[in-house]
Amino acid sequence: MVADEPTFARLMAAAQDGDKAAANVLLSEVGLWLERYFRRRVPPHQIDDLVQEVLIAFYTKRATWDPKRPFLPWLAAIARYRWVDHLRKVYKHDGKELMEDDAVEDSDEEVVMARVSLDRLLGQLPDKQARVIEMVKITGLSIREAAEKTGQSESLVKVNIHRGLKKLATMVEEVD
Amino acid sequence: MDKQATREDLIAALANDLTPVQRVKPSQGAALIAFATLVAGASCIAIFEFWTGMLTGGASAFYWITNGLLLLLGASSTSALIAGALPRVGARGAAPYWSAAMLSVVPIAAIITVISLEANHDHSSGVPSVLADPLTWYWECGAYGTAAGFVIALAAVMFLRRGAPVSLERSGWLTGLAAGSLGALAYNITCPLDTVAHVGIWHTVPVLVWAVIGRFAVPPLIRW
Repeated sequence: MVADEPTFARLMAAAQDGDKAAANVLLSEVGLWLERYFRRRVPPHQIDDLVQEVLIAFYTKRATWDPKRPFLPWLAAIARYRWVDHLRKVYKHDGKELMEDDAVEDSDEEVVMARVSLDRLLGQLPDKQARVIEMVKITGLSIREAAEKTGQSESLVKVNIHRGLKKLATMVEEVD
Repeated sequence: MDKQATREDLIAALANDLTPVQRVKPSQGAALIAFATLVAGASCIAIFEFWTGMLTGGASAFYWITNGLLLLLGASSTSALIAGALPRVGARGAAPYWSAAMLSVVPIAAIITVISLEANHDHSSGVPSVLADPLTWYWECGAYGTAAGFVIALAAVMFLRRGAPVSLERSGWLTGLAAGSLGALAYNITCPLDTVAHVGIWHTVPVLVWAVIGRFAVPPLIRW
């Protein structure tokens, strides 16, 4: 079971004062909390890397927690910041791939937005963008197949995917 | 620090290296930016001399209103900037943006005044028009105010780098608004030119310049 808010706060205050034993327990508990946080946000094989990345950020920025304020919202803000940074990196990688004609056939595994709360987010996109993202990035259809199914040209499918993913990234960044 | 092979190794290494830390406090950020503003103001006074006219009834109402709005914008953007330097979730206040919107009334009023005065000016009267007034085109005040803003921007970036801002763009805008408004204010207390056109345009333009600089230059400096 992951520690509760008062336990986290107590451990964190001790860690800020240099208590190594408390820091050890705290980091383990924070690791478990982050694992749960990222479970529904990134694919399973990326969770551990991201958790370790956030643990380092958490450790480096431990002086920014104010004991008068709750601990978990502070931790959640750090986790979210790192997650968005992770999305941005993967999105940049994906955007580059998308602009290359021969790269789209097998790029579905690498696309970040297909991994993140997609049902809710896709609902906020224009239908033509949501449909092609779903077809190419989730179902795994090729650009050509998506173009045939939707009646859009191949270039338009690419443009709609590109714009849709960009909007999704913005939406994710704006969520508090 | 290199990524460790396993999470347990990482945790053990981090815990082993642990040292006590001095907590980052919002009051430190406020003090640093206030100090930077005083330094900017003192430097401007040393270079341009304090304008005593503002204390002897020589300043126009427009001068006071503009400086008052700059002060409010500086206070609200500094306060939001400091709050944003520490990680948190939840709604963020829009006070700095409303303050900036209120300040924008000043240059708009100045431009409307210039246009309407110019449109109704009797060129045959021999009295120079507002566009012919050299004070209207004395852009140097905008440059001095912008230069003074650098000190405040530097202080803001230093504090943000100590903290952990989780919204870099917003922190960039706020740094720009704080640097522009407080920098302009620091210089304006030395400037005896208080016509509507001059104050409305050149005493507020540092805010616009710094907002754009802050938005684009600050995020890479505070990324963590």
